[in-house]
Amino acid sequence: MGGVIDFFTNTIQGLWEDSGIHALFASGGWKNLLMILISFVFMYLAIAKGFEPLLLLPISFGMLLTNLPMAELYHADLWQLVDGHVNYGRVLRDGGLLDILYLGVKLQLYPPLIFLGIGCMTDFSPLIANPKSFLLGAAAQGGIFFTFVVAGLLGFTAAEAGSIAIIGGADGPTAIYVSTRLLTGGGAITTGNIALAAYTYMALVPIIQPPIMRALTTKKQRAVKMEQLRTVSKTERIIFPIAVTIIVSLLVPSAAPLVGMLMFGNLLKESGVAARLIDTAQNALMNIITIFLGVSVGATTKADQIFSLKFGGVMLLGVIAFSLGTACGLIFGKIMYRVTGGKVNPLIGSAGVSAVPMAARISQKVGAETDPTNFLLMHAMGPNVAGVIGSAVAAGVLLSVIG
Amino acid sequence: MFIHPTLLADASGQILEEITEQVTAKPEKILQGTEKMDGTQIAAMTIVGLAVVFSALLILVIFLYLSGGIFKSAGKQKKSAPEKAAPAKPAPAAKPAAVRQPPKAPAPAAADDSEVIAVIMAAIAAMGAADGKQYKLHSVRQVTRRGSGRSVWAQAGLNDATKPF
Repeated sequence: MGGVIDFFTNTIQGLWEDSGIHALFASGGWKNLLMILISFVFMYLAIAKGFEPLLLLPISFGMLLTNLPMAELYHADLWQLVDGHVNYGRVLRDGGLLDILYLGVKLQLYPPLIFLGIGCMTDFSPLIANPKSFLLGAAAQGGIFFTFVVAGLLGFTAAEAGSIAIIGGADGPTAIYVSTRLLTGGGAITTGNIALAAYTYMALVPIIQPPIMRALTTKKQRAVKMEQLRTVSKTERIIFPIAVTIIVSLLVPSAAPLVGMLMFGNLLKESGVAARLIDTAQNALMNIITIFLGVSVGATTKADQIFSLKFGGVMLLGVIAFSLGTACGLIFGKIMYRVTGGKVNPLIGSAGVSAVPMAARISQKVGAETDPTNFLLMHAMGPNVAGVIGSAVAAGVLLSVIG
Repeated sequence: MFIHPTLLADASGQILEEITEQVTAKPEKILQGTEKMDGTQIAAMTIVGLAVVFSALLILVIFLYLSGGIFKSAGKQKKSAPEKAAPAKPAPAAKPAAVRQPPKAPAPAAADDSEVIAVIMAAIAAMGAADGKQYKLHSVRQVTRRGSGRSVWAQAGLNDATKPF
């Protein structure tokens, strides 16, 4: 009888010690508990406030899963470099579900595939009709490089500064692509931190941008009505993705995976002969990749990496990057306003920070505040999609210089 | 912080060289990711980064202007070609947008107008039914607003499409 009782108590004790509840109360368990609560905050923002829910919801759920003690879904130690390389054999052998899904992030598969879907959904006609928009898209990338300066001066390493700076591109997949390549693991900043900051601020574009737009433009400038855009022929729309792929890939080869897939998706759309492929790329494939990307990137936000001064720095510099990008686009918009004799509304410059189509909507909204009969949406879509190409080129520059 | 221009130029040149030479398999990167940067490296990276982004997109701008010019002129030639081919015919088919009464000969353009007139008439009839009056439609003319350069229909469409934003 005593043996049975001993066996029973030992089993119960073993089960208790193996449980997540026990681990939560062990030393350092409070950090996991706090991370779980933070994941609830992000879930709330995604569900109740509609903050980029398609990505913030999977990211926050990945955050929850990875911080459940003993669940062993993701192992940060498996991704540490050994002799300069990740031991992928070990990841496949010992990895949990989220480790396996994270392979797609680490091997840089997901962001280009998301770009394929984005390409299928993007209409580049406003950009083709008004090529000047490209310059606004380029100017807004100033946010990336000026933030790089700030991060560098604050003592971040080159890889960390590049990863933080790319948040200013306001493009989630590009930010994840760059940070995964640059941050080799083991540091205080992870891809998850960068993704969280990027998507949080992208959701906050309607709050961050308008005050900067109003501060940097006069009422007269905001009221400028732009000429109607010309109609773009189908042949032009077909040639565009092919030409952009060749030109950008030859100039900045590191940008080829992102720009190439973006343009491939766009060519599928504009060709008009691949309806089934477009349907898959912009719906099923895009949704599957979004789930895998979100949940596995969220998994990298382990408690010990979030509670650091550097993560606070990432969040602070992230908002600076967004603001600088907006300001650079606006300032260049003002230059174009002067050069063209008042034909360009500077407000479309702020749309140069990717964040498609939210940034263009904000240009429309702020323009309509000054004059309700002013329709800037299509004009702002030009710099907006140019920003996607611009941030991919900027990403290519960072990747080719920082090792 | 003062950075000597020569140092900056050297660093910029080095970074540019790195970008242009990266076609080779695995180039040595100019900035080590794990190391902190000095002022010169930061400034050079920023200048070169912006320069490369601007140059790449400027090349695309030039390409688009050139190709746009070619397509515009090709489009004009296409338009003028049929006009030259049949100059003798007075071509009464394309009636202006102003329609005073339903056309007797149903041409495609006129059929479109009839449809629009029918919709307008239906809207007026519905309005008349509401206030108990009868209205008669005498003419329908296209009005172009000078201020915005858009027709009323285009303006209404734009209003509708951009209202949610």
